[in-house]
Amino acid sequence: MPEIAVDALSMSFGTNQVLDNVSFTVHEREFLTLLGPSGCGKTTTLMSVAGFLRPDSGRISCGTQAFYDHAAKIYLAAEDRNLGIVFQSYAIWPHMTVFENVAFPLKVRKVKGEPRRRRVMETLGLVEMADYAARYPHELSGGQQQRVALARALVYSPSVLLLDEPFSNLDAKLRERARTWLMGLQRDLGLTTLFVTHDQDEALSLSDRIVVMNKGSILQVGPPEEIYRRPDHRFVAEFLGHCNIFTGHVTHVQDQLATVQLDTTQQRLTLPVGAGAPGDQIDVVVRPEAIILSEDLSQLSQGVNTYRAKVRSRAFLGDHYVYELELAGLPLTVTHPTAFSAAELTVHIPVEACRAMTNHTETTLI
Amino acid sequence: MTTLTHAPPSAARLRRLLPASAVQAVTWLVVVVGVLLPIVPLLYASVQDRPIYEAGGVFTVSPYRQLFADPAFWQTVRNTLEFATIATGLSVALGGAAAVACSRTDILGRRVWTKLLLLPILLPPLGVILGWNALYGPGGYATNFITRTLHIPLNLTSVIGMSALGTVVAMPVAFLICQASLANVESSLEDAARSVGARPLRVLSRVIVPMMRPALLNSALLIFTLCIESLGIALILGAPAGNEFVASYLYNTWSNASTIDPGAVSAGAMILLLCAVGLLLLRRVLLGSEARFISVTGRGRGSDKLLELGRIWRPILGVVVALYLLITTFAPILALALQSSVSLLTPLEAPWHLWTAGNWRQLGQPVFMSSIRNSVEIAAVGAVLTTAVVALATTVAHRSTFKLRGSLQFIMMFPRSMPGIIVGIGFFWTFVLVNPPGSALRNSIWGIVLALSIRSLTLAYLVLYPALAAVSSSLDDAARSAGAGWWMTMRRVVLPILRPALLASFILLFVSILNDYDPALFLVTPGHEIMGVTMLDSLKQGSTGPAAALAMVQVAVTVVAIVIGTAVLGRRSRRTHA
Ligand SMILES: Nc1ncnc2c1ncn2[C@@H]1O[C@H](COP(=O)(O)OP(=O)(O)OP(=O)(O)O)[C@@H](O)[C@H]1O
Ligand SMILES: [Mg+2]
Repeated sequence: MPEIAVDALSMSFGTNQVLDNVSFTVHEREFLTLLGPSGCGKTTTLMSVAGFLRPDSGRISCGTQAFYDHAAKIYLAAEDRNLGIVFQSYAIWPHMTVFENVAFPLKVRKVKGEPRRRRVMETLGLVEMADYAARYPHELSGGQQQRVALARALVYSPSVLLLDEPFSNLDAKLRERARTWLMGLQRDLGLTTLFVTHDQDEALSLSDRIVVMNKGSILQVGPPEEIYRRPDHRFVAEFLGHCNIFTGHVTHVQDQLATVQLDTTQQRLTLPVGAGAPGDQIDVVVRPEAIILSEDLSQLSQGVNTYRAKVRSRAFLGDHYVYELELAGLPLTVTHPTAFSAAELTVHIPVEACRAMTNHTETTLI
Repeated sequence: MTTLTHAPPSAARLRRLLPASAVQAVTWLVVVVGVLLPIVPLLYASVQDRPIYEAGGVFTVSPYRQLFADPAFWQTVRNTLEFATIATGLSVALGGAAAVACSRTDILGRRVWTKLLLLPILLPPLGVILGWNALYGPGGYATNFITRTLHIPLNLTSVIGMSALGTVVAMPVAFLICQASLANVESSLEDAARSVGARPLRVLSRVIVPMMRPALLNSALLIFTLCIESLGIALILGAPAGNEFVASYLYNTWSNASTIDPGAVSAGAMILLLCAVGLLLLRRVLLGSEARFISVTGRGRGSDKLLELGRIWRPILGVVVALYLLITTFAPILALALQSSVSLLTPLEAPWHLWTAGNWRQLGQPVFMSSIRNSVEIAAVGAVLTTAVVALATTVAHRSTFKLRGSLQFIMMFPRSMPGIIVGIGFFWTFVLVNPPGSALRNSIWGIVLALSIRSLTLAYLVLYPALAAVSSSLDDAARSAGAGWWMTMRRVVLPILRPALLASFILLFVSILNDYDPALFLVTPGHEIMGVTMLDSLKQGSTGPAAALAMVQVAVTVVAIVIGTAVLGRRSRRTHA
C-alpha cells in the first residue's frame, strides 16, 4: 500500500479561494481524517485526490506515481488512479443488482467468469452482504447500500480508499455500528484511508491522525488525543468538543509555569508555559470534563487554581451532569459525574488541564 | 482476502482516451453540421442573382427587393401577424386557465382532462385541420347550424376563423408549460394565503397568477414563434379563399413558379428564420437560460393540496372542459371519420344515404400505400437515429470535458425555432449543392429522414436533458473511479439509467416525425411520398374523401403509438418504483 502525499494544493472557484496551500501525507496503512466545518474544502481536497477536480497548483502523488503536478503539467485521469471511493450519496447504480454493481470494476479490468464471480462474492462476504447479491439498490436499506458502495470500492483491491462522509445518511445507532465495522475492516486489510467528515466524534474515534481544516487551510495535524488535548488554535479547540476559553495576559513566568491575569476579574490562573511571554495577551482553553468540583469549601485556600463558583444551573445527561457556573463573573461549563446540590462549589482547574495559545482575534467562532 | 492488485491496464489508457474524445468530437460535428446544413445554402441562395446550381452567380440583394415589392407579400405578413397575435393571446389564456384548473383545483375529471387536453399537439395537424374543415368549414356538418341557428358569424377560411383553430392547436403548449411551472411551486404558498383569510378566488388572482407570469411569457413567445411559421392551416383553409400566410405564400410561389425560382422564396425564408431566431434570443434574454427547460421539468407533484371549488362550480367547470374537448377535438375527428366514409361532404343529406367504402378502397392505390409505408418507416428510423444521436450529444454537452460542449446546448435548442419550410428549402439546396450524396438522398427516403430528424432534434433534447440532469453525477464519478473511461461510463452506466427517457423520446419523435410534413413538401420525389404530402396533393386535386381516409390512418397510427408508448412507460415506472 503506497502513501498519498498532497503538497501545497491551492484552488479557487472564480474569486473564491477554496483551498489555500494544503499539504498533508497519508502514510501507509494509516487512517487519516480531514475534519472541518461545512464548506471548508474537505470534499474539494478529496475530489482533487480522486481526480474529479483539477486544482490550480500543487502536487498530489501516490507512492512513486504523480497524480497531479502543476509544475510538470501532469494530470492523471480519475479512471487511471486506481483508488477506491465511497461517495457521500453512495452512488450505487440503480439499474444494476448488488452483484453487478460490485462486478463492474472487475469487468472494466477484464477479469472474467469464475474468478470474477468468486472475487465479487468474497468481497460481498467481507461487508456481510453476500445474501443480497441479487437485489436491486432500491430494495436495500441505507446501511446496506453503504456497504455495497464500500464493497464496490474494495473489490479490485485499490491502493487507497477515499471516503466522503460515508455515514452521514445513517441514523445515530447504525452510524456507531458502521464506524466500528469500518475501523475493523480498515485495520484487517491494512488500507491506506483518507476519510472526510465534519463530525468530531467520528473523527476522534476512527482516525490514526486528524487534519483539521478551516476556510481552505490546514490548522493542525496530529493524533486524536493530541488534537483534543493540545489544540494549537482556538478554532481547533472549539471545533473539537466543548471548551471554556479565558482571555488574559501573562504576568510572569517561572519554573515552567506561567501566571495569567484574567481579563475583567482579579483572578489569576497558573498554567504550563505555552504560548506567550510576560505581557502577552493569550487565550486559555480548559475542557469541561478536566475541571474538578467539590462541595467542600475548606479546600479553597489550598493549591493553585482553586476558586469558588456559583451554580447557575445543572442538567442531567445520563452518565454525567453539566454545570453552568459563574466564577468571579466569568461563565464556566463543567461536566462531572457527581450530583451536587449546593449553591456554591469549589472549582479546581488542574494546571495541566490548561492550554495556552496566542490570541488570534481574527479567528471567529463557527 | 487475497491481495492481488488489479491495476487498470495502463496500456489501455491510450486506447480508452482516444475513442472518448473521438466519439465526442464526431457527435458534436454531426449535430452542428446537421443543424447548420439547411441554413447556409439558404442564406447563400437568398443573395444570388440566379439559382445557385447555375454557374456565374453574382452577389445581389434583388431577391429581397423583389419580395418586398410584392404587395401580396405584405398582405400575408399582416395576415400572419394578426393570426399569430390572436392565437397566441387566446391559447395562452386558455392554456394557463386549464393548467390552473387541472393542477390546483378539484375540478371534476381532473386526471382525465390533464391527459386529453394534450391531444391536439399529438394528433396529426393535417388530420385536425381536415376534421375542422369537415365540421366547421364551408359546407361543413355544423357550419349551417352555427351560422344560421346560433347566429355566430363563423368563417373558418378567414384569418379570425383560422386563429380559432390556431388557438386550439397551440393551447396544449401553454398548458404544458404552465402546468410544469405550477408543479414546481409549493402549494404551501397558497395555504399561507388562505390561512391569513384570503378566499380561493383571491388566492388564484393574487398568488397563483403572479407566480405563473414567467411561464405565461415563455409560452406566449414560443407559441408566437410556432404561429409565424404555420403552414398547413393557411394552405388548406385560407389559401383557397385568398387568405394566405407568409409560409403558404412562399410555398405556393415555389410550387407555382414556371422556373425553379427560389431567389425570393429563399429571401422570404431567411426573413422567417430571422424572426424565429430573434424570438428565441428574446426568450433567452427575458427568461434566462434555465427557462428553456421549464416545459419538461414538471414532476407532477400537484396532487397534495387542491383548491376546493364547491358543489356548484366543480361539476360546471368539469362540463365546460368536456364541452371544449368535444367541440375542438373529438367532434372534428369524428367528422373526419365520417367524411372518409361518405361519397360527398354535405350537411343536407343524412350521411348513411351517402355511405361508401370507396375512399378507403382508393387507399389501396400504390401512391397511398407507399406513402403510408414510407411515413411509418421514416418515423421509425428517424426516431431511433435522432434519439441515439441526441442521447450521445446530451451526454457530451452535460457530462463530458469536451471543449466545445457548451455550444451543443444552444445548438440543440435551435431546430425547434427553425420554421419547417426553411428546413425543407434549405435541405433542397444542400442536396443540390452537395452532390454526391445529394441526389442519392433526394431519390430515396433518406433525404426526408434527415430533414425531419433534424427538425425533431430539439424535442429529443427537451426530453433527455432533464432526465440526465436528474441522474446524479456522482454515479458517473463512481464508474470513473472504478476505472471506466468516459465512453464506457456512458454506455454502461448513464445511458442504461436513462432508458425510460430514451423510450419516451422515441415515442414522441415517432409521432412527431410521422405527422410532420412541411419540410417534406420541398423534398419529395416520385415514389418517396409521405402521408402528409400525399394528402395535400389529393386535396389539391379535389379528392377530399381519400385525403380524409389517409388522415384517419395517420390518426390511427398516432393513437396506437401513444397507447403502446404510455403502456410500456407506465409498466416500466411501476417496476422501478416497486
Ligand atoms: N463547483 C463549484 N463552484 C463554485 N464553488 C464551489 C464549487 N464546489 C464547491 N465550491 C465552494 O467551495 C467551498 C468548499 O466546498 P467543499 O464541497 O469542499 O466543502 P466541504 O468541506 O466538503 O463541505 P461539506 O461538509 O458541507 O460537504 C465551498 O465554499 C463551496 O461553496
Ligand atoms: Mg463535502
